[in-house]
Amino acid sequence: MFSQRRITGLAAAGLAIVLLAGCASPDLSSSLTSSQGTPVSGGTLIYLEQGAPASLYATQSGAYTSGGINNNILDRLTWQDPKTLEITPWIASSWKVNNDATEYTFHLRDGVTFSNGTPLDAEAVKKDYDTYGLGNPDLKLPKSEVINNYDHAEVVDPLTITFFFKAPSPGFLQATSTINSGLVAPEVLDHNLDYFAVATNVIGSGPFTVASQVVGKEIDLVARKDYAWAPERAANQGRAYLDEVKYIVEPEDSVRIGSLLSGQADVIRTVQAYDEGQVTAAGYVLLAPQTKGVNDAVNFRPSNPLVSDVHVRQAIVKAIDLQEIHDTLFSDTYPIATSILSDLAAGYVDTSKYSKFDLAASKKLLDDAGWAPGADGIREKDGQKLVLKVYYQNPGGQPQTQQTLELIQQQLKAVGVGLDILSPASSDYATLLNDPLSTPLYIGDAGRADLDVIGTYFGFKNRNVLKNEDPELERLLAVANSQPDQDKRAKAVQDVQVYIAKQAYAIPILQEPQVFGAAPYVNGFTFESVGRPLFQGTWLAKH
Amino acid sequence: MGYLLKRAGQGAIVLWAAFTVAFILLQALPGDAIMNRFLNPDLGLTSEQISQLRQSYGVGAPLWQQYFHSAWAFLTGDLGNSLEDGTPVRLLIEGALPSTAVLAAFGLLFAILLALAVAFLSALAPFAWLRNLLQSLPSLFIAVPVFWLGIMLIQILSFKLRLVSIINPGPVEGLVLPVATLAIPLSAPLAQVLVRSIDETLLSPFITVAAAKGASRVRLLVHEVARNAVLPAVTVAGLLFGELIGSAIVTETVYGRVGLGRITEAAVKAQDAPVVEAVVLISAIVFVVVNLIVDLLYPLLDARLRTRAAAI
Repeated sequence: MFSQRRITGLAAAGLAIVLLAGCASPDLSSSLTSSQGTPVSGGTLIYLEQGAPASLYATQSGAYTSGGINNNILDRLTWQDPKTLEITPWIASSWKVNNDATEYTFHLRDGVTFSNGTPLDAEAVKKDYDTYGLGNPDLKLPKSEVINNYDHAEVVDPLTITFFFKAPSPGFLQATSTINSGLVAPEVLDHNLDYFAVATNVIGSGPFTVASQVVGKEIDLVARKDYAWAPERAANQGRAYLDEVKYIVEPEDSVRIGSLLSGQADVIRTVQAYDEGQVTAAGYVLLAPQTKGVNDAVNFRPSNPLVSDVHVRQAIVKAIDLQEIHDTLFSDTYPIATSILSDLAAGYVDTSKYSKFDLAASKKLLDDAGWAPGADGIREKDGQKLVLKVYYQNPGGQPQTQQTLELIQQQLKAVGVGLDILSPASSDYATLLNDPLSTPLYIGDAGRADLDVIGTYFGFKNRNVLKNEDPELERLLAVANSQPDQDKRAKAVQDVQVYIAKQAYAIPILQEPQVFGAAPYVNGFTFESVGRPLFQGTWLAKH
Repeated sequence: MGYLLKRAGQGAIVLWAAFTVAFILLQALPGDAIMNRFLNPDLGLTSEQISQLRQSYGVGAPLWQQYFHSAWAFLTGDLGNSLEDGTPVRLLIEGALPSTAVLAAFGLLFAILLALAVAFLSALAPFAWLRNLLQSLPSLFIAVPVFWLGIMLIQILSFKLRLVSIINPGPVEGLVLPVATLAIPLSAPLAQVLVRSIDETLLSPFITVAAAKGASRVRLLVHEVARNAVLPAVTVAGLLFGELIGSAIVTETVYGRVGLGRITEAAVKAQDAPVVEAVVLISAIVFVVVNLIVDLLYPLLDARLRTRAAAI
């Protein structure tokens, strides 16, 4: 019953590459991956981080802050090649998937241990995946969004485990490579969610361990000396070259840049577009790995009466001049979005023809929909003004959110649509944001290099960012998330993108990179598939 | 001794009041810290999971129950966990309090030294223009935004001249710029009060007498004026302690220092009740103690108060 394909060239990935041929945007992540000369061992790397990680519970690694730490302390069953998106061996040396993607069997590498000495065997993997796949409500540990339809796991022998699913779960293999599925020592999962706020509590088998933490300020990672189970494709198969990595939280943009350029830091995360010139002019290196998932976009909530009419949404989409946004606020590091998915994402299709900037068409659509310009130029219908409220937080999850919104506000004014930009206190933010009647707009993005991402982002039972009840969208998403045949699944993902574009459910703006600045003597600084930093192969040349 | 006990009793009442008022205010505010924590789309949780989590965190229990629960927990030394990310509050405070205490203590110390220097130098200044210049310094100090001052000091002293490191510095090195940033604006009101009270004291008849006896200007200032002029400044210094916390928020953010200021800012924004309660209590304790110290200092500085206190 098992197809014996040992999936090193996953169909999804291969297909994505074919689809992408010739149109992919530059992925600037490779600049430092080719090491020059012989790696130097030892040393401490100072890494400046924009914010402190909230929780290191693996399933919550979506945030850049926690993902950046977990990627260095937690191993995964598999490794996704950041360039080809292939799934390749890591803690699992091989695996089999049955034809309808409901049973996955993994063979584990022998001799792997967690940093507390507990062996990383099938029992440990079972405990991790049972928790991530089902959640543990008694301990407040939520289920992972990347694992769908999980039923249970069976330990076949100490180094073999089989996972069973209630329904096809074609995204599961890639899910095993994500940071969200980071393997932790089983005893860690006997504690509740709050336990994961303390970094030293999180015991993994990764190339680094957490030596100490000053909450909100600094996390010190030290290399594990006996680490010998890097991903098969890693350039460095042994322990990390660095002895130590200091993650220091520095929220001020200008202080991070100044520290890097004055030699006080080696790598910094988040270089704003307007600061990029400073970094390169000083001979430092700019790295901008793409996050390869759902693009930065303003998404509509069709259940809000102001935008329930597809023509109104289409008019708003056509009023947005993406080129102007890109040229005014950003740089070539931030490619303009041409679909709701990144052009480096699996299953991407170009939908930009549905969202071409066209002021005349936009105005006509609004006129036809019955929204007539009022005395102040803002359109009205039945005494109601076409003014949309949008909430953002500073710093938000997306680069220069406030500036982008202000430019969109100007652009929308040209067609008589008002935009009310609000930044509520963080205690109210989430509540307001999740009420479609409070705001018809939602700004967001998601990084995951798998066909699954579109479903977990828009799906009714997942993030459901549109707060939508469109049965046709749900039907298309269901196909995309459950079709075991990778070609058909990629086709379904394309159908979703086209449907979202035709329905004007979102205004894709940019393909989000994570932009890092690094000193010229930093070598072998790499990223996993969606741009989270990895220090296992990093070394510092003499300087 | 009886005086001390009475003051301690008053202190306890102040602490209870601070705790209760903070609790009521936090409850009265709209917004929901737990909701906010788990609605973060990066966590990828469904609404079903979120409502389950809210229940498991005890959201929705009657107010009086929550009040007595948290009051009892505080009394027994259990400060609970942050609602924002689950960090034990005790750990947050342990990490922040020493750092802020050192920053505040040195900030206040240097503010006092700076104020004394400005005030006494201006009193001794031989020329009117120098005197005017020195006396206008406090106005300049108070007008400089703390945030801007911090950024400027970093840009010039750390990034351009590379005199001090602000990333991963040594314990003393790490204090230089933050203490300067804190002390400069803080010294301004102190200096102004000192300048005024020195001027006033210099006009007192006993100074004229001392001067007539042939005391030099310096001797007059140090032996006769100083003790009298310093009294109002001590009162102001006590009050400035509140200002210290406010300035510390900005200073700690700019320098990326962990501290009570930064924790408070984040906790208030997120309505992280357990953290805010803990910070309010700590601040209240500090205020009670500082005021007690100031009151105890008066009799030491002023002989008249000493005899009156003894008489009571």
